[in-house]
Amino acid sequence: MGLAGDATDSEVVRAVLGGEVERYAVLVRRYRDRYARYAARMLGSLDAGEDAVQDALVRAFDRLADCREPDKFAGWLFLILRNRCYAERRRRQREGRPLDERDDGVAAADRPDGTLEEAERMRALERSLTHLTPEQREVFVLKHVEGLAYDEIAGRTGATVASLKMRMHRAYDRLRDLMKEHL
Amino acid sequence: MSLGYHPLVKRLLDGELSLAELPPELRAEGAEALRLVGAVDRTPVVLSPTLDDRVMAVVRRHAASRTRRAWHWLTAPRDVELRLRVRPALWAGALAIAAGVALLLARAPGSAPAPAPVARSGARDSVFVRFVLYAPGARHVAVAGTFNQWDRNAAPLVRAGTTGVWTTTLALPVGQHQYAFVVDGERWVADPAAPAIEDGFGRRNSMVAVTMRGAHTL
Amino acid sequence: MRSFLALGFALSTALRLAAQDVGARLEGHVPPEVQSAVKDIAADAAARGLPTEPLVQKAIEGGAKRVPAGRVIEAVRALAARLAGATDAVRAGGLESPKADVVEGGADGLSAGLSAGHVSALVRASRAAYDPALVLRVAATLAALGVPPKQAVQLVEGMIKDGRSSSDLLSLPGEVQAGVADGATPAEAAERVNHGGGNGVGNAGGNGPPHPPDWVPPGQGKRHKPPNPHKP
Repeated sequence: MGLAGDATDSEVVRAVLGGEVERYAVLVRRYRDRYARYAARMLGSLDAGEDAVQDALVRAFDRLADCREPDKFAGWLFLILRNRCYAERRRRQREGRPLDERDDGVAAADRPDGTLEEAERMRALERSLTHLTPEQREVFVLKHVEGLAYDEIAGRTGATVASLKMRMHRAYDRLRDLMKEHL
Repeated sequence: MSLGYHPLVKRLLDGELSLAELPPELRAEGAEALRLVGAVDRTPVVLSPTLDDRVMAVVRRHAASRTRRAWHWLTAPRDVELRLRVRPALWAGALAIAAGVALLLARAPGSAPAPAPVARSGARDSVFVRFVLYAPGARHVAVAGTFNQWDRNAAPLVRAGTTGVWTTTLALPVGQHQYAFVVDGERWVADPAAPAIEDGFGRRNSMVAVTMRGAHTL
Repeated sequence: MRSFLALGFALSTALRLAAQDVGARLEGHVPPEVQSAVKDIAADAAARGLPTEPLVQKAIEGGAKRVPAGRVIEAVRALAARLAGATDAVRAGGLESPKADVVEGGADGLSAGLSAGHVSALVRASRAAYDPALVLRVAATLAALGVPPKQAVQLVEGMIKDGRSSSDLLSLPGEVQAGVADGATPAEAAERVNHGGGNGVGNAGGNGPPHPPDWVPPGQGKRHKPPNPHKP
């Protein structure tokens, strides 16, 4: 659709594997923003998210020959990005750096019906999310930001629905504690 | 550490229950929980417009270096015999040619006859040019161009090991040539690393110039 | 008068023979309608003193690529027009009777995005010291690598003005290609070559070309915001 024409992911992957390097730009254009929000929320800032998306797209190209099912490119790319986000998180922990505080967020006050109180609550929630474990943060983002159902999350990440719910429920408790002044 | 949410409230947050379905004594807690989760920022994120270019720049670099690496693999063990028949100065010049496409193995006037795997051209003013394409997903690759009447069957490439690289060496007459790779018998693919020119039919051809000094990106 | 007539006769015979030759070469490569149309286009081109070989090649290419007949004919006609345009441009640059390779070089230049003015300027710059076919080829190839046409022309003219050798001119596209392989855009790579930086054509497989300390490969620069002083 649109600029990229009607070529399916599968067709583009095959073309790139047939030597047409430039066709990869179609997949870049198609997926550049799809997981941007996920990456930004996993890592705490737009900059970090953008770095992760850029690296993931490059790595997906490097390993394109390993993409077993070319028509499942989207899911395969997501896993590469997910691994990248987890690796970045581990690296920062090793280096003693916390996740970036959001310095570019859209404040609730910018939204037409927002109040100051809501803006503060939103910022507080963002900060609190950085204190969750990566697994808790991920399930929260995928469910409440990306709007996926538990079975969809299970399909993407390989976890069971039961373990996802367990993580989520712990996350709810933790967030309640961290957010108590704002509730 | 405050008390966590009641299990029913958690099910509310999971979307499995509505507020009205909660027991009355839990509704305040439920409303509070919904306020918490409702505070999450769902604003879509759009990354900077230069991301595409940055990704493709790195992608091209990786593609070119892959071909270069295949190069060294190709030129090292298999071409010892060819190398011996070439003047050293020309060989060094050949190695200096950048990224990807055509390696020249110049035949100096009066040198030994062409080695076995390469078809003998017969003409004195022709030069051996190697073509390389990284295409791990291809089942069949050939090169066609002005030097072989664009015949897709005239010059098949062979796989070089298991790296996904395809290659062949042709004796080309001196002059300017256009060419393209033919993948799986039907897809015309320009050489990613060579200069590209519109073919007039909606695709692009690659260019290579062959002189007695060798093959050039020209 | 008689000799003039004789010349005219010889010329038209030659043209007829050439047309037959075109027909024979296209036989089996393209359908009859293309064969016939291209014969006419080629005969017309020959009468105007244009090279016909590229036209035959283009038709064979179209046949091999299984392009519909109408499209092939259109492309051959367009190429003939380009050859004519190139001839005019080369003549405007001072070469009265250009050889086929100069005209073809000019036509490739036009295909790659150079203007007729660029072609004339390059021919003029070549004068006696440089082979205009070579100069046009270099500029056309730079443009075909993605260097903006004006920049490509300036780069070549600059090297001519500096009295650089033909060898150096011939190396230009390879150097730009090396820069692109390292992640620069074609324009950036050409700029580097222009300032004498080079792109390390001689370092096949080494650690990469030497860079000045402030040159960041485009794949790795940061973007919309200035660097955060709090980040390591």
